[in-house]
Amino acid sequence: MTATAAPVRAAPRQVPRVAPRNMTRLVWMELRRNTMPVVLPLIAVLFWFDSYRIAATMPPLWVERLYYILGQGHALVDFAPFVAGVAAWMGSRDGRRGMTDLVTATVRPRWEAQLATCAATVVCAVGSYLVVMAVTLGLLGRSIAWGGPPWWSVGAGAVGVAAFTSAGFALGAYFPGRFIAPVAAFGALFAMGTSSQIGFSSSGGWALILPTMSNGNFDKDAGLFYPFLPDVQIARVMFAAGVAVAAAGLLGLPASAGGPRLRRSAAVVTAAGVAAAVTAVALASTAQVGPNGAVIPALHDAASDRPILYTPVCGQAGIPVCVHPAYRSYLPDAQTALRPVVQELTGLPGAPVRATQVAAVFQAGPPPLTGPPTAAQLQVETIGSPPVLHLTLNAIALPGSFGMNTSGFIGQIRLQFVHAFVGAGGGSGNPAQQIVQAALLQDAGIPLAAQPNVLGQSPWALPSRGRGGGVAASYPRPISVAASRFAALPAAARHAWLAAHLAALRSGRVTLAQLP
Amino acid sequence: MNVELTELHRKFGHVRAVAGVSLQAGPGVFGLLGPNGAGKTSLLRMMATVLPPTSGKLYLLDRDPGSYGPRREIRRRLGYLPQNLGYYPGFTVADFVEYFALLKDMPPRQVPRAVAAAIEHLGMGDKARAKLRTLSGGMLRRAGIAQAIVNEPELLLLDEPTAGLDPEQRVSFRALLRDFGQRSTVIVSTHLVEDVAAACTEVMLMDAGRIVFHGTPAELIARGEGHSVGDAPLERGYSAVLAAARS
Repeated sequence: MTATAAPVRAAPRQVPRVAPRNMTRLVWMELRRNTMPVVLPLIAVLFWFDSYRIAATMPPLWVERLYYILGQGHALVDFAPFVAGVAAWMGSRDGRRGMTDLVTATVRPRWEAQLATCAATVVCAVGSYLVVMAVTLGLLGRSIAWGGPPWWSVGAGAVGVAAFTSAGFALGAYFPGRFIAPVAAFGALFAMGTSSQIGFSSSGGWALILPTMSNGNFDKDAGLFYPFLPDVQIARVMFAAGVAVAAAGLLGLPASAGGPRLRRSAAVVTAAGVAAAVTAVALASTAQVGPNGAVIPALHDAASDRPILYTPVCGQAGIPVCVHPAYRSYLPDAQTALRPVVQELTGLPGAPVRATQVAAVFQAGPPPLTGPPTAAQLQVETIGSPPVLHLTLNAIALPGSFGMNTSGFIGQIRLQFVHAFVGAGGGSGNPAQQIVQAALLQDAGIPLAAQPNVLGQSPWALPSRGRGGGVAASYPRPISVAASRFAALPAAARHAWLAAHLAALRSGRVTLAQLP
Repeated sequence: MNVELTELHRKFGHVRAVAGVSLQAGPGVFGLLGPNGAGKTSLLRMMATVLPPTSGKLYLLDRDPGSYGPRREIRRRLGYLPQNLGYYPGFTVADFVEYFALLKDMPPRQVPRAVAAAIEHLGMGDKARAKLRTLSGGMLRRAGIAQAIVNEPELLLLDEPTAGLDPEQRVSFRALLRDFGQRSTVIVSTHLVEDVAAACTEVMLMDAGRIVFHGTPAELIARGEGHSVGDAPLERGYSAVLAAARS
């Protein structure tokens, strides 16, 4: 073979390493030319339709308004398919565009170049999510009187978006093709759908790691009387970050990704991500539901158990009625609900001298979304000396949520009060207690015929006597007759009977024959 | 030597794309001719360090690209234009060239000037801000060449660089090749013998994975004397060498 006459070259010059600044510039270029912003209007419209529109109709409490968006993870459901799809599109770019040879023949390892593209895509996706969340919180918060959003949940959502983006990118990089984007989007949608199904039916354990799982960690008075417990959200951040890191590490494993040292680093990064995700699932499975939410012992900070100081907002309903300032807008409803019952019971032994709102408590198990709250959740009681009526307003569905309206809300408060006052406790009470309760409710403005409906929204629904079970549409005749008779008594006579028999009634020792 | 190949082989399954190529090359412009499927692109891809040889020895810029560290150093000094140029449609010409300058790890301070120079070299100054998706095939090819030369490579590998270029562009491109050939090794795979005649100091003809001729353009022309196939002297030489190799 012919050789040229050129002299052998001198030893090649050594070029100083300039990676960091070039890497920053690469990320900036990828940010400017990223595809992600193209789909943002679509995500925004979907988010408005699927999440914001519903959240805006919910009661003006952070935990209520963000229940759909963050508690049940609708924000992530809306974002995940799109960001995963676009990320897969970006990840498959070099393969689709026939750029593999060109980019491989450059100095910078493929892993680094892909990380720059992936980082830019993640920044676009997470940035979009944060902007959408900022606007959402701003708009939803305008009518919220007290408290702040659950920032850990917002953060967990952001890291979740990063995880879907990173995983989608890795999928695209490994399987470049024009169909990988819809495949990734559908995969993300399927994952979120499965997560939702598990979230609706599970009550705790490992399933708490799922972003759509609200049971035990995002319910009732969370963030009002006690801080939002961050334990589950911390585990979720760890899980999603682990997935994101593992996906980024996977990009560096192929032989074309870089040198042996770089590929070893990629393997370590992948392993670290997997370890973080597995650890997070293990931590979530140790969660226990406490009164203020799910507690993960290894992550729990005792400071989260300290009550939040607040100055209650009070009004009069014959007795002082005080509610948490976040419930300021519900104080008139509470006063309306309590006034007639208080008027009827004033002066009786055990009649409360004031009513004050207490926190609804969490309980293990899925919440009865389609049914009434449980007695354990309600915990309405008249206790102490002098007796104080403890109201758990958010254990009742607030007006605007789950089909509840103001009159139903008022009826439930009255029922809670009377039910606690006659000593029926956690059950429906004995017949005498049921009769007195029905009569007092009628005098307080709830007709006998309407009471089965009110009871049906509580834990003390009247059982149907038919074959199919369910809730009865009317009282049994002996109850309604006796209740009508008791309610028809002059107020003074009824008051006198209650004064004489209240202790026995509460202890369940009054028989039907003893009723007037 | 910038390029030293010894008995280089490359197989794809049972197909032998490159079959025992040996070559030494210093600075200059080398034309790589051959019919479709002769192995030109595979040979260029091996020299571009994106395709490892099945067997044989390959030294580029005095380094063995089989090891990662040397391979990076080769790539730092390498310019490569693949046959099928992929591109990112949303990038501008300047973005595209800068992107590869960054991937080639050029010192950041040199990048803007190098990008501008490469674009000007190809006469694309007025198109620097145009998105690649708006460019014609010839313009895209020029953008591809610009990215290949942005780092002032010591080894420049160009696979069908003049495909899609109009005659005026081809003339200026040949001048560019001659300029680079003063200080670098430029290997140009092409089907256009005019390019070889005008710009190359040496020409190699491949057939069935082997180099069947290596010499100057004048030597190739001489091989075609008396041969009737071909319109131009170089084409006749090309046909004569191929016919001899296949007989």
